[in-house]
Amino acid sequence: MSHHYVVTAQKPTAVVACLTGNFTSPTDLNLIIARNNQVEIDLVTPEGLRPLKEININGTIAVMRHFRPPDSNKDLLFILTRRYNVMILEARMVNDVITVVTKANGNVSDSVGIPSEGGVIAAIDPKARVIGMCLYQGLFTIIPMDKDASELKATNLRMDELNVYDVEFLHGCLNPTVIVIHKDNDGRHVKSHEINLREKEFMKIAWKQDNVETEATMLIPVPSPIGGVIVIGRESIVYHDGSNYHAVAPLTFRQSTINCYARVSSNGLRYLLGNMDGQLYMLFLGTSETSKGVTVKDIKVEQLGEISIPECITYLDNGFLYIGARHGDSQLVRLNSEAIDGSYVVPVENFTNLAPILDIAVVDLDRQGQGQIITCSGSFKDGSLRIIRIGIGIQEHACIDLPGIKGMWSLKVGVDDSPYENTLVLAFVGHTRILTLSGEEVEETEIPGFASDLQTFLCSNVDFEQLIQVTSDSVRLVNCATKALVDEWRPKGDRAIGVVSCNTTQIVVASACDIFYIVIEDGGLKEKCRRTLAYEVACLDITPLDETQNKSDLVAVGLWTDISAVILSLPELETIYTEKLSGEIIPRSILMTTFEGIHYLLCALGDGSMYYFIMDQKTGQLTDKKKVTLGTQPTTLRTFRSLSTTNVFACSDRPTVIYSSNHKLVFSNVNLKEVNHMCSLNAQAYPDSLALANKNAVILGTIDEIQKLHIRTVPLGEGPRRIAYQEASQTFAVSTLRIDVHGRGGAKPLRNSASTQAQNITCSSNILPKPGGGNSTAANAEVGQEIDVHNLLVIDQNTFEVLHAHQFVSPETISSLMSAKLGDDPNTYYVVATSLVIPEEPEPKVGRIIIFHYHDNKLTQVAETKVDGTCYALVEFNGKVLAGIGSFVRLYEWTNEKELRMECNIQNMIAALYLKAKGDFILVGDLMRSITLLQHKQMEGIFVEIARDCEPKWMRAVEILDDDTFLGSETNGNLFVCQKDSAATTDEERQLLPELARFHLGDTVNVFRHGSLVMQNVGERTTPINGCVLYGTCNGAIGIVTQIPQDFYDFLHGLEERLKKIIKSVGKIEHTYYRNFQINTKVEPSEGFIDGDLIESFLDLSRDKMRDAVQGLELTLNGERKGADVEDVIKIVEDLTRMH
Amino acid sequence: KCPDPKPSRLLSSNYNLTSRHARTQAGFNTGRFDRRYVHTHFSPWRSIRSADYEDPGGDGRVFNMNDGVEQFFSNCHNFSVDAIKANRAGDLVITSSFWRTPTSILWSIADDEFKLKLRLPDVTYCEFSQTAQDRLLGTQNECATLFDINTGSKVASFTPTIPNLYTKNRATLCRTDELILSDGVLWDVRSGKEIHKFDKFNQCISGVFHPNCLEIIANTEVWDLRTFHLLQTVPVLDQRNCTFSPMHVIYGASLGADRDHDMETTTYDTSFNVLDAYDYSSIATIDVKRNINDLSVSANGSLIAVVEDYSGYESKQETYVKIYAVGVKKSERSEEVRAVKELASEV
Repeated sequence: MSHHYVVTAQKPTAVVACLTGNFTSPTDLNLIIARNNQVEIDLVTPEGLRPLKEININGTIAVMRHFRPPDSNKDLLFILTRRYNVMILEARMVNDVITVVTKANGNVSDSVGIPSEGGVIAAIDPKARVIGMCLYQGLFTIIPMDKDASELKATNLRMDELNVYDVEFLHGCLNPTVIVIHKDNDGRHVKSHEINLREKEFMKIAWKQDNVETEATMLIPVPSPIGGVIVIGRESIVYHDGSNYHAVAPLTFRQSTINCYARVSSNGLRYLLGNMDGQLYMLFLGTSETSKGVTVKDIKVEQLGEISIPECITYLDNGFLYIGARHGDSQLVRLNSEAIDGSYVVPVENFTNLAPILDIAVVDLDRQGQGQIITCSGSFKDGSLRIIRIGIGIQEHACIDLPGIKGMWSLKVGVDDSPYENTLVLAFVGHTRILTLSGEEVEETEIPGFASDLQTFLCSNVDFEQLIQVTSDSVRLVNCATKALVDEWRPKGDRAIGVVSCNTTQIVVASACDIFYIVIEDGGLKEKCRRTLAYEVACLDITPLDETQNKSDLVAVGLWTDISAVILSLPELETIYTEKLSGEIIPRSILMTTFEGIHYLLCALGDGSMYYFIMDQKTGQLTDKKKVTLGTQPTTLRTFRSLSTTNVFACSDRPTVIYSSNHKLVFSNVNLKEVNHMCSLNAQAYPDSLALANKNAVILGTIDEIQKLHIRTVPLGEGPRRIAYQEASQTFAVSTLRIDVHGRGGAKPLRNSASTQAQNITCSSNILPKPGGGNSTAANAEVGQEIDVHNLLVIDQNTFEVLHAHQFVSPETISSLMSAKLGDDPNTYYVVATSLVIPEEPEPKVGRIIIFHYHDNKLTQVAETKVDGTCYALVEFNGKVLAGIGSFVRLYEWTNEKELRMECNIQNMIAALYLKAKGDFILVGDLMRSITLLQHKQMEGIFVEIARDCEPKWMRAVEILDDDTFLGSETNGNLFVCQKDSAATTDEERQLLPELARFHLGDTVNVFRHGSLVMQNVGERTTPINGCVLYGTCNGAIGIVTQIPQDFYDFLHGLEERLKKIIKSVGKIEHTYYRNFQINTKVEPSEGFIDGDLIESFLDLSRDKMRDAVQGLELTLNGERKGADVEDVIKIVEDLTRMH
Repeated sequence: KCPDPKPSRLLSSNYNLTSRHARTQAGFNTGRFDRRYVHTHFSPWRSIRSADYEDPGGDGRVFNMNDGVEQFFSNCHNFSVDAIKANRAGDLVITSSFWRTPTSILWSIADDEFKLKLRLPDVTYCEFSQTAQDRLLGTQNECATLFDINTGSKVASFTPTIPNLYTKNRATLCRTDELILSDGVLWDVRSGKEIHKFDKFNQCISGVFHPNCLEIIANTEVWDLRTFHLLQTVPVLDQRNCTFSPMHVIYGASLGADRDHDMETTTYDTSFNVLDAYDYSSIATIDVKRNINDLSVSANGSLIAVVEDYSGYESKQETYVKIYAVGVKKSERSEEVRAVKELASEV
């Protein structure tokens, strides 16, 4: 068997639908946003959008619409899922708590019907009498609405129209009347059907209009009293109400199709239209009063400006609209009454959307064993790279520009009764500056008792209302109230102080090999002891291990030369334990700390690595030595308290927060580039904050409670398709698609984008001959025609600047790329595959594989080879190039002459779209024929088909989990795992790849990559997981698939079963039904996968429900089987959440 | 009529697999184009031949599909078997022979053996019911009879009041087993009543239900099952039998069993059509260069088997089953293999 855990790290971000209405109360204006399986309810306020609630549906939302029952002053929500579940939801506000109630639900699937191929459509009668849907070929499904019924029941009506593009209900009709755009052999037509609800049948055709525009796709019903419908075509707009007819062909419409609209006014005279170019238009209906009532007189269309490529638009209020997007960020925009630079659109806020994730690179730039994900996100002009990493976020509240800070401490000066700190001491080379914080104001001040002409080494509030300042010369004791010097201690012989540490009662000072122990008294400093160590002291610490104590019994010292950590006892400074640290890098910072009752010694070295030990409080003995890499520069450790727990901040070029969870240390990145110094700050205006200094500034901010994903956007202005990382050149290669428009002087880019603004731009000169003299789109293009221009971008790994753009001549298209080291060649190359895409051909006939070398800021073409089709996938395979080219899988070797030479070839695919390799084995994902395992026989130089999954599956991504286990994603949003059966007794069985695990994800995975979001090399594996595969989906989600052992699977499965019963989902779709593996008519229960999203929702339950959920659940702890209690399960689930 | 818009770059990019692949990943709905693309290529995957050259006809033979090796056989009829159907579980097979003494026989297949279960005299064609597969629908000229699969007793008989008298009537049940189409007449199974008699446009083919249970395809005519209107005419289906694939395509082939046994009048139609089951548009025409005696689609639609009849001037007649992998292109290698094999078989 095969056992897996799958969990979402980043929820889907693509917006499927959005709408505005009064949901939470008759007076609340709400924005409702649907994303994949979630519904977000926002309140529209004068200050902006306020998220109120997010609900999960056990299904993928296909359509979301709203309606108002005739007797109601609130709107209701109708949702149809991809698996034909329907629900009517109501938001109720009770005591400021919003609950979403399922008023009615049902399943409207039909076992005989053939699913309509153009996607499902649903519309609601304006008087809320009936819901109409196009779900199956040749059928129109209606749900008559009954106010009291809790079950939604569907009836199928025969619809003669075969190819239906849009369906809406007309306003102002006696009987519910639908209007349809459909296509037959003659063209597209608009037709209305009246529905007899009692007989559940179509009655008559009220009116129709044959031969509307051949690409008409959308209908906008116009509300009463005007009535009728607006038909949106690609170049024209028609208004029709059966008798009255107006048409307009707006010149401002570009090549792109209008794909969504929003009604602005309830009288139905103004509409917003959005197209796939991201252009926003306003459509006005001019009316006139006639004897028959108000009728449409003319149609006007005005271009308003640019927005994100919209999927849906909704008008909020006061000129504000929400743009839901799936190819770029969603937006809140405002419409100006006056045009600014020709645009009426003012962007107000962007909402991150990663969809569609077309490719990801997982890189560990910091070498911490923690992956950063770089995604190719978005399409067309909204294309971008997104840099995603997990860590702890600092919310920046203030920033003070101050370069050259060498140390930083917060103090409470002269305010005895206040719990807040009011002073920040900053050390610089040769001087010290003191800042007072009064409210949010920061001003410079002086403390007379402090030496301000020297660099401060340490500053602190200490016992007896006193302050300590340590400089290279002396330790100064200052009265907190008078700010005057009380006492001063200097090492004998005026030797310079090297390092120092203190707590509120004790100070240890080191000067070269000598170490001094000083006790702080009321009004005086008393040297208690002095000792000379074998080597010079590099760092020391006297933090009390017991938090209730204000003094320490131990001193921790890091030494030069022999590179050791030494524990001394107080007050005698006797060496009680010595631990040699291996290596030659000196310790730079040492810290004793207690996490969850366990004492630790942390010792950071000059190269950014850190040792940590468990420390015995009495004997000073160090055990359980472990090492972790935190950064690349000398690291300083500081403790701070956040939410009443102790944390350690490691200041370096890769700032890290160290904390403990379930008695294990967790190392979490901070979303800042560099922190040289830090101190905790609890000031009145900045409570529970941190002060963080980098080279140029001090940031005052608060810290996130838990780690989460941080997303940075690098907009490209063109669509990225594939990404590859190359360590040798410290660059990424990204293939992009830009759209140019033919003008009189040839094709020109529409806008500035990454490829037009690169530091270097080259153009592919080596154009392949057109196959069969085919008509290239570039050759005889007319003015205004759009052409696809593919670019290879080379991007700096740190700055994400585009260093180089290499442009291909249309119709040459980049289909895949990778970075690889080939043969014995010491260089690392970018391997780029292209093909000539002629739209009229079913598939390309010619392509090439090109070897580029990026070196010394130059991109050089080293070699190329012609191929007879599109190379969809490239994999480095034992120093060779493995390529999936059309129906072939081929292996090319890199000769000493720097040429690609085909070594072997196998053809048994429809299209080998996806390839992964491990050792000699190759996993192929096919367009339709599921997955195939090949082996490369090196000696014979051939490929052999080892095994294949014989059930057809339209593949979307593949990955090798281990030698025998293969993960696949197919087009219906299912995941499956096949396993090679090496123990099979017959050849026939061996040739099969039995499907052992299956799961419905509800979103289509486009790419799998091995890698981890959290640090892996820490050696504190908290859960028994094996391997980690990250995935990116079509709807912008990022998730994790990992293998788990059988017993852990059984335990989690038990928990899953209990949670299914306890957690009642909105819409009442059974979790089991949701996760069923369903391809066409084949339905199988999910198995072999644990739904991590369900498991982690355990933590959101109330204590009582948690108790219910673990009732009777058994688990194995330390080899012993016992009944699980709530604490055990919380711990396990928390550990699982820490994977993302 | 509105003028047609200029060609759109976005809309046309669905046709080419490479540009479509990028659009699929971006979330555009491209399934229809992929489905159609896949059904334009058919690669020979296995050939199944009887080892016994002197096969007198009337045998049922079972082959392993993966290696083409014959497992066992039985003499089922005295004359050639004209139709064979298996149930979904694969443990029952019904064979029909209509030469001289028309009979259909139900066999159970277990332990490498054909075991006779039922003999249905005068039944020239027989199929399993669709849902539970617990009944058989037999065709006796213009009549259709439902039999209980276990007892062989007649459950119901359907004889048209005014017969159409199609020469090759094949009574058939719809996917829900609620309707029967026989001799161009539609029956309600439960009530046993005639619902409608469709106009007769050809002499031979009586028609089949579309799996969507909304339409009937009878030769080139597509009828609406609810309104009985003629929806459209599909000329390429003339004299062709329709076989449906779960991948929503229709295979149309003129089958040998439907042709007259008299070789003189047989038209040599060596190709099958692939049509889109959604709208009857043509996807491909595949010429196998042999007469087609029968065509069958695997349960998941990824393989089709064609009984090909080879009769050249210089070689003796040979019939074999060729299995094609749907979507896979004919490779040069497999052509070579085929040529070599055929050469060997001819020698």
